[in-house]
Amino acid sequence: MISGSTVISIRGLTKRYGKLVAVNRLDLEVQRGEVFGFLGLNGAGKTTTIRILLDLLRPTSGNASLFGHDCQSDSQNARASVGYLPGEMGIYSDMTGHELLRFLARIGGVGISAKYRGSLTERFELGDRDLSRKLREYSTGMKRKLGLIQAFQADPPLLILDEPTEGLDPLMQESFYELLNDARSRGRTVFMSSHVLPEVERVCDRIAVLRKGEVVLLSSVEDARKLASRRVSVSFRQDVATPASLPHGYEMIDAQPRKWALRVTGQLGSLPAFLAALPVADLAVEEARLEDVLVRYYRDGAA
Amino acid sequence: MTILFALIAQSLHRVRKFLLAVGLLLAGFQVVLILQANSIQASSSFAQMGALVPAFARELMGPAFVAFLSFQGIVCLGYFHPVVMGALVSVSLTLATVPVMEIETGFIDLLLARPVARHWIVTRSILVSLISAAYLLAMMALGTWVGLSVFAAKATVWPSAGLIRSMAINLGFLILCWSGIAMAIGCACRRRSSAGAIAGLLALTAYLTDYIGRAWKPADSIAWLSPFRYYTPFDLVMGAALPAKSLYVLGGVAIAAFALAYVLYSRRDISR
Repeated sequence: MISGSTVISIRGLTKRYGKLVAVNRLDLEVQRGEVFGFLGLNGAGKTTTIRILLDLLRPTSGNASLFGHDCQSDSQNARASVGYLPGEMGIYSDMTGHELLRFLARIGGVGISAKYRGSLTERFELGDRDLSRKLREYSTGMKRKLGLIQAFQADPPLLILDEPTEGLDPLMQESFYELLNDARSRGRTVFMSSHVLPEVERVCDRIAVLRKGEVVLLSSVEDARKLASRRVSVSFRQDVATPASLPHGYEMIDAQPRKWALRVTGQLGSLPAFLAALPVADLAVEEARLEDVLVRYYRDGAA
Repeated sequence: MTILFALIAQSLHRVRKFLLAVGLLLAGFQVVLILQANSIQASSSFAQMGALVPAFARELMGPAFVAFLSFQGIVCLGYFHPVVMGALVSVSLTLATVPVMEIETGFIDLLLARPVARHWIVTRSILVSLISAAYLLAMMALGTWVGLSVFAAKATVWPSAGLIRSMAINLGFLILCWSGIAMAIGCACRRRSSAGAIAGLLALTAYLTDYIGRAWKPADSIAWLSPFRYYTPFDLVMGAALPAKSLYVLGGVAIAAFALAYVLYSRRDISR
């Protein structure tokens, strides 16, 4: 049963190419207003899943729906509310940027606000002069910016973005993050695949990690970060002995008479009590990094 | 409907220069043939040319041989010259394989991510093929008319408008037939080059089958399989009526092939 706020629903989705299983019994739901990160190594099945959502690929079994419209049997309605940025944009090099945007707007079937499109081109610094040039003269970054503009220009309720910041310079990445925040604040849903983990940590509400076609982690960014172990450095005023035992979740990485380096997994509530009897001079706790967790999932598939 | 028009307009816009060039070349070729026919007529060389043609070639052409070696016959040659037929079939293969080219380049991802039905992509390509074929045949007829009006000597007997129309219609159906076959092949392929090569090879085989079948009796038994068998310019030049059966066969093959293209395209994975 799909609730009213469910934008993307994937149930038991499987896609096989002969013996190769690209996506295996995938279950996923994305709620309205979420920025959802879809992560995994190359060949994990991210793009295959996205292409099934857009009815470019047909699943071997299972089903997917967008806004309650089945992606295969009712695909036109499913795609009517989507803005899509492909991982690799296939464009005709003899078209101009203006021509491409106008053509895609016409076949989108919904009106485009010239003001909104203008704000997008301004945000991505793609001026009228650039848009009047043939696409063969565009750099990789300019093509990516054009791709983002065509995906956002109809201000669709759902944005499906495949590696959106690939090829963008840091300034344009910032502009993209701002645009994403604006979209989120207006209740738009974003489903994006990415390799850039700090980016995911910064912009996504929830993530799914895909490994060999299967979801190995599905959680909020906050919860995923809690799975990461933090590095704690403690300095002492005088020499201390190395403890014979450590509290649960603690691991000694380096023990010197006046300095310890510990790895703590989980909450740090027990740390003050553990250090209370010791002559602590200084204490430093490193922020938990989502990257550490995800890399582990990429490698092993489980924590 | 607006979306379909937008797709057609975009496709025609992309090939406009190519079509314009081919159209002008084909029209120019008709004019050149008329100039050539004029020159042969002026030097009364049609009889001498007839004597130079080997016996097997006369046998190949049958009674049409006499009709062909005339001003009217040379003018009509513009509608069945191998170069002209090769050009028209090549254009039809090029346009019919646009759907697979869009898959190969990834452009289709941008189209089908929007509320565009897959069958509109095939419908668009069929309509673009139809429009292009009609335009090219119109350009050829225009070339014939301009050539005759401007360059033909007063004493010459022009081919009738009905004859030119019949040849153009028969040729148009042949082009449509190859468009359908190429589109069906394209919708089953991953690469445009593969689709073009298969369709091109098939067209060449069919042309040779028909050609050999006309001269060699054993090959005639399978020549009915070739779409070229249903384009009969010699008979038309001889005064025969446009054969409805040929149009039914060519039209039927085109419709069946387009239908197959719809089915294949709607079921396939859109992936490079």
